[in-house]
Amino acid sequence: MAQKIARTFIGEIKSFPAWLWVLIALTVFGLGVGVYRLAVGLGTTTNLNHGYPWGLWIGFDLFVVAFSGGAFTLATLVYVFQMHEFHAATRPTVLTGLLGYASVLIILVMDLGRWDRFYHFMIFPNINSALFEVSWCILLYTTVLISEFSPVFFQRLGWQRVLDVIKKITVPLVIIGATLSTLHQSSLGSLFIVMSERLHPLWYTPLIPFFFFVSSVAAGLAMIIGGATISYWVFKQSLPQKVVGSFGWFLPWVLGFYAIMKLGELLIAEEIGLLLTANLYSVLFWSELIIGCAIPIVMFMSKTVRHNRVWTLIGALFVLFGIFLNRFDAAWFALKPAPGFEYTPHWMEIAIQFGVLSAMAVVYTLIGRYFPLFEETVHNGDAEKFHVVASAPAE
Amino acid sequence: MNQYGMLVDLTKCIGCRGCQVACKQWNDMPAELTRNRGTYQNPPRLTSKTMTNIEFREVELKDKLAWVFVKRQCMHCEHPGCVAACTVGALQKRAEGPVVYDENRCIGCRYCMYACPFGVPTFEWDQTFALIKKCEMCIDRVDAGMKPACAKTCPAGAIQFGNREELLTVARERVYAKNSPYIKHIYGEEEVGGTSWMYLSSVPFEQIGFPTLPKETPVYLNDKVLHATPTIALGMALALSGVYWMVKRRNVIREYLAAENHEK
Repeated sequence: MAQKIARTFIGEIKSFPAWLWVLIALTVFGLGVGVYRLAVGLGTTTNLNHGYPWGLWIGFDLFVVAFSGGAFTLATLVYVFQMHEFHAATRPTVLTGLLGYASVLIILVMDLGRWDRFYHFMIFPNINSALFEVSWCILLYTTVLISEFSPVFFQRLGWQRVLDVIKKITVPLVIIGATLSTLHQSSLGSLFIVMSERLHPLWYTPLIPFFFFVSSVAAGLAMIIGGATISYWVFKQSLPQKVVGSFGWFLPWVLGFYAIMKLGELLIAEEIGLLLTANLYSVLFWSELIIGCAIPIVMFMSKTVRHNRVWTLIGALFVLFGIFLNRFDAAWFALKPAPGFEYTPHWMEIAIQFGVLSAMAVVYTLIGRYFPLFEETVHNGDAEKFHVVASAPAE
Repeated sequence: MNQYGMLVDLTKCIGCRGCQVACKQWNDMPAELTRNRGTYQNPPRLTSKTMTNIEFREVELKDKLAWVFVKRQCMHCEHPGCVAACTVGALQKRAEGPVVYDENRCIGCRYCMYACPFGVPTFEWDQTFALIKKCEMCIDRVDAGMKPACAKTCPAGAIQFGNREELLTVARERVYAKNSPYIKHIYGEEEVGGTSWMYLSSVPFEQIGFPTLPKETPVYLNDKVLHATPTIALGMALALSGVYWMVKRRNVIREYLAAENHEK
């Protein structure tokens, strides 16, 4: 018996594709560097300094949270607006969101000077602190995401009763999740309100929480498209392109609204002239607007683009690049440099960041292989094919 | 407003750095290993081991080279950004004026370093378990009825400790006196809503490294936005519940009509 289990296990491991091994290697390496970072402190393992107390990690945290906005956007569309045609995308998207938040939580702990006190935000509240609100919302929302995703495990275990209970509370759970997301997506923007002296005026505005929220919806939609397209290639299992394309249909509206609000705010604040001065800041801002908004708006207005897998993915990548740049601008590039200080990430910062992201990709792949992640797609397609893909490969 | 304040008269400072040493002694801070950088200014800036530092600024005054010595430390804002930002409330503004720090709460997130318009809080980059360091206006001494160590030690009388309002009166008298050498600006009187530390100078402040700051503090806006959280949460939850109910109702009616049409 034990021998058989061992043989199955080894057989499974042998069936992993090469790219999965690369991800596992990156994970293990990142883990090692991460442990070293926790043991020796931030000074030796990062290039963060007095002038740049935050860097690569915070940039990624902001981006990954926006990217994970796909989970609340989709859950709201499916369960609140009851657009059941999108239902099949929920499980993979909620998993991506959950793993995104998990990676942010790990990196946040890495970023703390006193990482052993990570729980202090629970016992020492400061209701005026945006970071306090963000910490609580992320913690609660991660719990909601775990509950939303738990049916995948209960289904595999065959716990029908638990499944019934979760099914009953799904709608309230989704509403709580979307409310928490509204709060923390925006309060990640509120983080910058107190930094009026540090953040460049092109980005600094009292509306920054609102901009962070709206752009997280756009990033979320792009993430759903990207996830669906990649699982089409990796798991040979995905949504029909018609459904993927209809997520793209929303993007011109969201991005258009976002771009108009951003430009309008600059007009009203009489800062629009800053866009016409040639410097790093105006180039960064224009890149956000053109690559992240204008190009994808034009692309997704076209039916030909929405009906083509590769083109939808390219469009989604443009959107994600725009939001990525926006978050890095706010957290790094557009912060007034402190005289006498420079910052380029240390290789260990990069190793830890990519280690955590690789770990999430590995977990996603393994869940996709051994759990009914694409169970919902059965309704649309071929049950036989699903069985072969999602259960363990034959011995 | 009966708050403590500190008044630094830069024209009186002789650059002896006695305050720097007194601060280190009282707060039990170690010395720093530095290199000769061609200036008397040492260490180069505020660090986690140096909570007050004298900057040796070289400026041109009436076509002549002049040295201005600038004491740096926490300004103890009336509306401190760091206090608003601190995730765990480790930084607090005391009613008497000083902005104090509880190292038993701090998680080392470094948000305060970004929230401070003066770039004051420093981080212990060399420690495994690292904390923030900043001047607390010698709150332990002040509580015991003594002056902060720097004010006590200053041989030139450049650092005065007292009631902020009274110090402001002293400052105004000096600045607006006949043949006053001072520029007509009391730094800290109004910057970001006022600071407990105030400076007098004969050289424009922007020439000696003081940031030019607005009278308004972003702290009001920060607090307003964050206090809106419960309203936003309630509004969003209600709006989504409403949408859910409406869509469900619409679907029920649709199905009913469809069934009716089918029967006909």
